[in-house]
Amino acid sequence: MDLRLLNFRGPRGWIEALGLAALALASCLAYYGRVLAGRARFDLPAFAAALQQSGLSILPAITLVMIAIGLILGHQVEGILTQFDLPVVVILTVAFVIIIEVLPVLVGILVAGRAGVALAVRQATLLATGEMDGLLVCGIEPLPFTLAPVLLAMLLMSFAFLVWGTLVTFAVAGAWLWASSGVAPALFLEMLTSALTPGALVEALVKPLLFAVLIALIATLNGIGAGRRPGGIAGAATGTMIGAVTAILVTDLLYIVLARV
Amino acid sequence: MSLALSLNGVFQHVAGRLALQGLSLDLAAGDWLLVCGPNGAGKTLLSRLVLGLDRPSAGRVRVLGRDLAQLDGRGLERLRREVGAVIQRGSLLADHSVLANILLPLRHEPMTRGEMARAARLVMTLLGLDGMENHPPQALSLGQQRRVELARALIRRPRLLVWDGLSDGLDPTVAREILAVLDSLRDGQPMALLATDNTPDALGGIPARVAVMNRGRLLYEGPPETLAAASAQDLELRTALGARF
Repeated sequence: MDLRLLNFRGPRGWIEALGLAALALASCLAYYGRVLAGRARFDLPAFAAALQQSGLSILPAITLVMIAIGLILGHQVEGILTQFDLPVVVILTVAFVIIIEVLPVLVGILVAGRAGVALAVRQATLLATGEMDGLLVCGIEPLPFTLAPVLLAMLLMSFAFLVWGTLVTFAVAGAWLWASSGVAPALFLEMLTSALTPGALVEALVKPLLFAVLIALIATLNGIGAGRRPGGIAGAATGTMIGAVTAILVTDLLYIVLARV
Repeated sequence: MSLALSLNGVFQHVAGRLALQGLSLDLAAGDWLLVCGPNGAGKTLLSRLVLGLDRPSAGRVRVLGRDLAQLDGRGLERLRREVGAVIQRGSLLADHSVLANILLPLRHEPMTRGEMARAARLVMTLLGLDGMENHPPQALSLGQQRRVELARALIRRPRLLVWDGLSDGLDPTVAREILAVLDSLRDGQPMALLATDNTPDALGGIPARVAVMNRGRLLYEGPPETLAAASAQDLELRTALGARF
């Protein structure tokens, strides 16, 4: 992809932004294809760094958030159960909402806040310091170079976080309900498994992956759109966070609407 | 005569100002050209156009026989693998070691790690960078950073080397020494050189042509020996070269 076309000024307007996002994604996929065909080297150190950034570095935060969600869930279910003694309906409904809606969105927001912003800041910094020019003159396409390892790491970690988050949240919620309302773990587990139909499971697993792609592309648009002006890097960071959170929620809404049609 | 570089009637606007005005020049394969001029003369812009980092407003730029206007992203990427570049702004990746920076151009080459390490060792020794493999670039002096950039530019044995700001961060003696090293390599594999600097001092006695630019225009092009005589007759040329001439 020839970034001279945009002269690193970034996209102007939605159509250009969509076009650039599509080109960025295509260049990334082409790069993965070249790696698989053995015609390009995969940047393992960059991938490891991206895994650390989008994974291990936010694991404590993710775990804490999921414990909090589990406690809130347990507390709320306990409150509802005191009014309606219908554990099957209550747990099933709440578990469905948590797994399908809350956890993917939370994982997406946390990944956007860490890995998405880091990607945008890195690209904006490379641009501001002239390092992007350095890549170009070495015959290296900057977009796959910066985006490909991060996107793969974000996909892997989003998936892993969803699984981890689900386990933590429901372990905490189940323990709470067992201790406070006497809902046996076996019954709780049975309710959960019945809430998770194959379709719901696929939806829960696909959403974080979709969000990861969106976050990476929004970060890239903000990163390479930062230009060489002062304040560009800070603008890229805030733009990524706001754009990613908005995109995650709007996409989730669209997913619900379109999936139900 | 095959040309490493050819510019024909190149104009460039920058922020509404005409920064290059009808620039035309040729550089034969294996020849060296030092473009001199004061700050703002258009030297860096010329380098960026040759490297395909910017597009001219008008005119034609051909590098190693290829018209840059006709190349897409992949074509440019392939061309840049035959062109080494030392550009004016700090272009080393700050989060990569010196060795990783030098190896960047070999990223997509079908070479084993051992071959890459040997190639890196060779250029590092040539430029006095031994023992700095694992240093981060920001831990080096400006002059050492320029040498790392040069090592990165040379590792793929380019057919054309573009060196913007020949003596930036290097004292003239060191710049001359490095040029002498490059000159000694010319017999093995011809490499054209397009270098820029404020004055032609860094050349010393190394055989090369000199071009002088001022305000985006080419004022002189020829051997350095006749530059003094030409500047004696041309006030603008004299001004562009400063008090030395």
